[in-house]
Amino acid sequence: MFRIAVIISLAVSVCLFSGCRSRRGSQDDGVLGINTTLIGDSPLPGGDFASELTRITSVRFETVRFAYDSFKIAPSEIRKIEKVAAYMRANRTARLVAEGHCDERGSKEYNLSLGENRALAVRAYLVELGISSAHIQTKSYGEEQPADPGHNESAWRQNRRVEFALYR
Amino acid sequence: MKRLALTLIGLALVSAVSPAADIDIVKSGAGKSHIDLSAITASGKAGALFKSTLENDLKLSGWFTISAPGKGLLVARGSAAESGGRISASVSVTSRAGKRYVSERYGGSAENARRMAHQAADDIVEAVKGVKGIASTRIVMVGSRGTKKDLYVCDADGGNFMRVTRDDAVCLSPSWHPDGKSVAYTSYYQGSPHVYRISLEHKTRGRISAFPGLNAGASYSPDGARLALALSKDGNPEIYTMSPGGKNLKRLTVTRGASEASPVWAPDGRSIAYVSDRSGAPQVYVQSAAGGRDRRVSNIGRENVAPDWSRDGKLVWSSRRGGSYELVVLDPQKGREIQLTDDGFDYEDPSWAPDGRHIVCSRTGGYHSEVYLLDTLGDRPIRLTTISGEWYSPAWSPK
Repeated sequence: MFRIAVIISLAVSVCLFSGCRSRRGSQDDGVLGINTTLIGDSPLPGGDFASELTRITSVRFETVRFAYDSFKIAPSEIRKIEKVAAYMRANRTARLVAEGHCDERGSKEYNLSLGENRALAVRAYLVELGISSAHIQTKSYGEEQPADPGHNESAWRQNRRVEFALYR
Repeated sequence: MKRLALTLIGLALVSAVSPAADIDIVKSGAGKSHIDLSAITASGKAGALFKSTLENDLKLSGWFTISAPGKGLLVARGSAAESGGRISASVSVTSRAGKRYVSERYGGSAENARRMAHQAADDIVEAVKGVKGIASTRIVMVGSRGTKKDLYVCDADGGNFMRVTRDDAVCLSPSWHPDGKSVAYTSYYQGSPHVYRISLEHKTRGRISAFPGLNAGASYSPDGARLALALSKDGNPEIYTMSPGGKNLKRLTVTRGASEASPVWAPDGRSIAYVSDRSGAPQVYVQSAAGGRDRRVSNIGRENVAPDWSRDGKLVWSSRRGGSYELVVLDPQKGREIQLTDDGFDYEDPSWAPDGRHIVCSRTGGYHSEVYLLDTLGDRPIRLTTISGEWYSPAWSPK
């Protein structure tokens, strides 16, 4: 029920903000896929959780995965982010850094921006789910820290991701 | 083998001209001149280093072929001698017909023999060909050895290779200040991607940009008065300019839901080229540095990234063509893209030499990356990096 409400609110937001923008390849833009057009509405909080707070490693969240050269959140990844949102709602003092990563293909500098947009897309969705934008920071590692050092499609799939680092 | 798409016809011309025509031809700047260096005497280790460095520099300039003794239209005479820890050298260049192009003396500590040879090479290139040489320039790059990533710098001939940082932290995209003495780059050594300026002269480092989120891809305007970079502080990666100290911020792009990256200035400082994926894939755009409308300049290839702008106004970038990344040169005045490379390797992160002729870039094959010098007039590519490691993101110094 909650999920449906989110979908509706997203759809409404998209109508409000997207200005009927259409992208090529839009046939696979699900309702949830285009929530990335919301990126850009919420300035990032200052400070640096990673250096100011204590890292919590006892709680682990699932890694969110992405398609090649995309920062669109796939329907398969929604539940992972909803679990993070549920934790953040229940733990008001927790702070989160969404860490964006890319596979090794493409320019390192562009990949830094792409990784940042992946992290921002996840952050935007968490904000849509009611988490305070002041509680979520983003950090892009571009292609610099692969989870799998291999050079094949399977490694690349593992490396296009957003990981969550939790702090308090 | 590289496709010599930009090869000029000059190379064949030079070897065919008669001595009587030599003066006109060598002053035209087109094609190679044959020069005989055998009349430069060298003594001591530093003297020999001076001469061998000079010879290699003249070859790397792209403007000279070293002749066999007694051959060639140009003759260099002089000496390079080491004595008591010092070197003194003199070099003059004349044509066989007797025209004197240059005559200079060089002296200093023997350990500066290479630097003096670079100066002598640049003096000869400028006197004979009427263009600025590149022998005294340097190249900064990122090196990844084991798990360590750091900045390294070397001379344009690959010599004098030195490690600049000792952070063992992710670092990216070094870019020279126009003074040729310091470099802006992105480092994670304090945890987040921030932009720093590091002085190679004084070995000091200062933080320039540390906004929340991404701070990356900094590039100095030609007069050094502004810095362009990508920041995500307002919600997604956009291009901004700022003062060199990180103040007086001005936002250039407003593209909600798209990534921008890799800004670089036009030689007149009035436009900025950058990468944006607003079309659904990364492409190269040009926009006035004062803001306003942008226009897409890359038209072929699924992805076009990492542009650089030469001093004489040509853009180069890395273009995904089929399965590989190739270098493409565009003269915005003429509007036609010319593909420089086509041999199955990936060519990325190109950076122009100040001569507007040579390009330094990374070349990756079998997931191993080295830094190469390319010549847009057709000389063979030259590998710059020789020690083990992954070498990439090179930037050629402006002087």
